[in-house]
Amino acid sequence: MDFSLTGHQQLVQETARQLFTRECPTTLLRGHIEDPAASDPLWRHLREFTPLGDGPLTDLCLFLEEAGHVAAPGPFFATTALFAPLLAATGDERLAATLAGDTTGTVAIAGTDGIWLPNNDPVKTFVPEADRVDWVAIVADGPVLGVVDSPTIRQVHTVDTTRRFFEVDVEPDVAFRAIDADAVEAIVQRATVALAAEMVGTARRLFELTLQYAKERVQFDVPIGSFQAIQHKLADMALDLERATSAVQYAAMTVDAKDADRTRAVHVAKAAAGAAAKRAAKDGIQIHGGIGYTWEHDLHLFIRRAYASEYWLGSSEWHRDRLADLLF
Amino acid sequence: MQLAWSPEDEAFRAELVAFLDEHVPPEAAGGFDYADAADRSGGELLPDWARAWQATLFDHGWMIPGYPPELGGRNCTPVQTLIYLEEMASRRVLRSFHFPGYAIVAPSLLEFGTEAQREIVPAAIRGDTVWCIGMSEPNAGSDLAGLQTRAEVHDDRFVINGQKVWTSYATIAQKCFCYVRTDPTAPKHRGISTVIVDMDTPGIEIRPLRHLSGVGGFAEVFFTDVEVPRENLVGELNGGWRITQGSLAHERAGLWVDGVARLETTIEGLVDLARRRGVDRDATVRRRMAELYERAASLRALGYKGFASFAQGSSAPEHSFMKMATSELSKECFEAGMQLQGAYGAVVDPDRGEEQGRWALGFLTSFAGTIAGGSAEIQRNIIAQRVLGLPRGT
Ligand SMILES: Cc1cc2nc3c(=O)[nH]c(=O)nc-3n(C[C@H](O)[C@H](O)[C@H](O)COP(=O)(O)OP(=O)(O)OC[C@H]3O[C@@H](n4cnc5c(N)ncnc54)[C@H](O)[C@@H]3O)c2cc1C
Repeated sequence: MDFSLTGHQQLVQETARQLFTRECPTTLLRGHIEDPAASDPLWRHLREFTPLGDGPLTDLCLFLEEAGHVAAPGPFFATTALFAPLLAATGDERLAATLAGDTTGTVAIAGTDGIWLPNNDPVKTFVPEADRVDWVAIVADGPVLGVVDSPTIRQVHTVDTTRRFFEVDVEPDVAFRAIDADAVEAIVQRATVALAAEMVGTARRLFELTLQYAKERVQFDVPIGSFQAIQHKLADMALDLERATSAVQYAAMTVDAKDADRTRAVHVAKAAAGAAAKRAAKDGIQIHGGIGYTWEHDLHLFIRRAYASEYWLGSSEWHRDRLADLLF
Repeated sequence: MQLAWSPEDEAFRAELVAFLDEHVPPEAAGGFDYADAADRSGGELLPDWARAWQATLFDHGWMIPGYPPELGGRNCTPVQTLIYLEEMASRRVLRSFHFPGYAIVAPSLLEFGTEAQREIVPAAIRGDTVWCIGMSEPNAGSDLAGLQTRAEVHDDRFVINGQKVWTSYATIAQKCFCYVRTDPTAPKHRGISTVIVDMDTPGIEIRPLRHLSGVGGFAEVFFTDVEVPRENLVGELNGGWRITQGSLAHERAGLWVDGVARLETTIEGLVDLARRRGVDRDATVRRRMAELYERAASLRALGYKGFASFAQGSSAPEHSFMKMATSELSKECFEAGMQLQGAYGAVVDPDRGEEQGRWALGFLTSFAGTIAGGSAEIQRNIIAQRVLGLPRGT
């Protein structure tokens, strides 16, 4: 098992790192709270990278980790981690335009319970960015697929101001066609690992902000990072972050290779990413003290993103329960 | 990133597997996941078959495959070393009953030793010489640099007085890799030297101590005017601290493999145990088992990731996490095993409890992992200060 990055993968990572750092400062995230169009300039840069949606998951994950690091808003995740793979797996003619960055889309599967399994509920939930994409692909029991352009939607507000969720009504006139059940499962698995990669990036940001603060903030005449209670918290945050990062890379590799271990690996990746993100969020705010409790400090933007991601596409607990079904 | 190793590397694995199929004695493939050597051989620290098996491995170049043939290896690559450790661990084949000689003394002497000292390395790896490590003392544990065992320096010899404690294998060892204070006036890290002490030298008294499992394992070692020839100094006089920091042992990047494989065996055992106890439909139990599995699986991935950066020549901070994380998880797994048995959690009777007390005894002995060789707290200090770059406390 070789975890070393190829030259191409290093390039993907490096490119993403530079692009997101430059194009997605926290001022953009704050602008996006008032007006989602604030993320449009970012999308214009990201359009070029939509082919990642139809390539190896390992590459997409490296890219998305950096998206999570800046809590990037906009349609990139929905389009490359959900919509494009669904089009590719079902031979939809919109794929070419999507990979060219000319059109955007999102996917609706979960019903009222929020679980990403095909169902016949008349309302689909937790559909990302449904108001600002060109297409909404609805998957229902069968499974069947119908792609619509302007369904009735309602925003579902979460603590997260960087990713926007919607309810989508399944109108009676949607033209559904049958698709492969395995394809749906594969797409949800793919998106789950992609989200876990993003969460690892968000957790890394929270960790970095906190580590930096621990080195700078002085109390009792010494940096608070010299206190053992703080050091041990940071060591535990780092461990969870390291193991989640590795678990996500491993899961992406197994998905790309269609390896027999992939189902377990996907559940492990999302649960581990959730553990890392939640710990980084909680210990992060604690180590920041009062400043971490303010609206002005950027920390909360990432804490919010971390927690909303935790509950999307299956919480850590949900994935552990599925893992248990495979163990027992 | 890729899941499979190259065909050459898989051919290496096939050769190893063929060797193991032919040579592993039944006792070496124990399938145990807890306790140390003595606990599993009925108190016998070094049974004859274990001596013979280690020698067989050495003679066939399978003891430390990364070393050259004269050191019990076959000059294999780092990836092949990893494959070797993987294969041995997944089959739960124990290489040796006493690790200090091949794992600590050999690489240290190869790096720091004189020519004459390097000549005794093959016997250390083959297991013909049993070594113990004399670091800890009653007043120097985590704070190893506070050690007080005194060695007076003469032109031709050292004269040692003092006491070591928790010295594993001292009762069967021929030699001790011993840390002594040679300059009591220097700052504490700078007055330590490393010497090789023959355990039959007059003035050494060994008092065995039992592990909390009840069987013997370590000892107190007392030194009274013990004379050691000057040529037994390893490295420089007062340069012993450098040696405590470990040498670049060939296998360091793969040490985690055994810990993770053990965890996986333990977790499989937990799943079986839950079934036997009829609690495998219990939602809390299932979630807990899945959580333990998730942590072990992600640690395996972390180990591989660390190996990849090591193989590319970076310092691989991942490894600092592995010992702490695997030993703490192991403790939790064994406690979970007790918990699954309800009222019978602490029972060790072979005919009443589960698996001859595997879970309760495993729980007790799992503490060795979070205490010996740098406690979990010390590991966290090291991660914070050396990996994360936080300032030392005052
Ligand atoms: C099974 C076993 C085998 C061993 N074999 C050998 C051997 O062969 N040779 C040998 O030399 N030694 C051996 N040891 C000794 C071992 O290395 C020491 O026990 C270990 O280094 C801890 O030292 P201590 O026992 O003195 O505990 P202490 O150092 O007294 O620690 C007690 C507690 O205080 C904590 N603590 C100490 N310092 C700090 C700090 N700075 N920050 C936070 N917490 C701290 C520790 O984590 C621990 O919880 C063995 C121990 C065991 C359990």
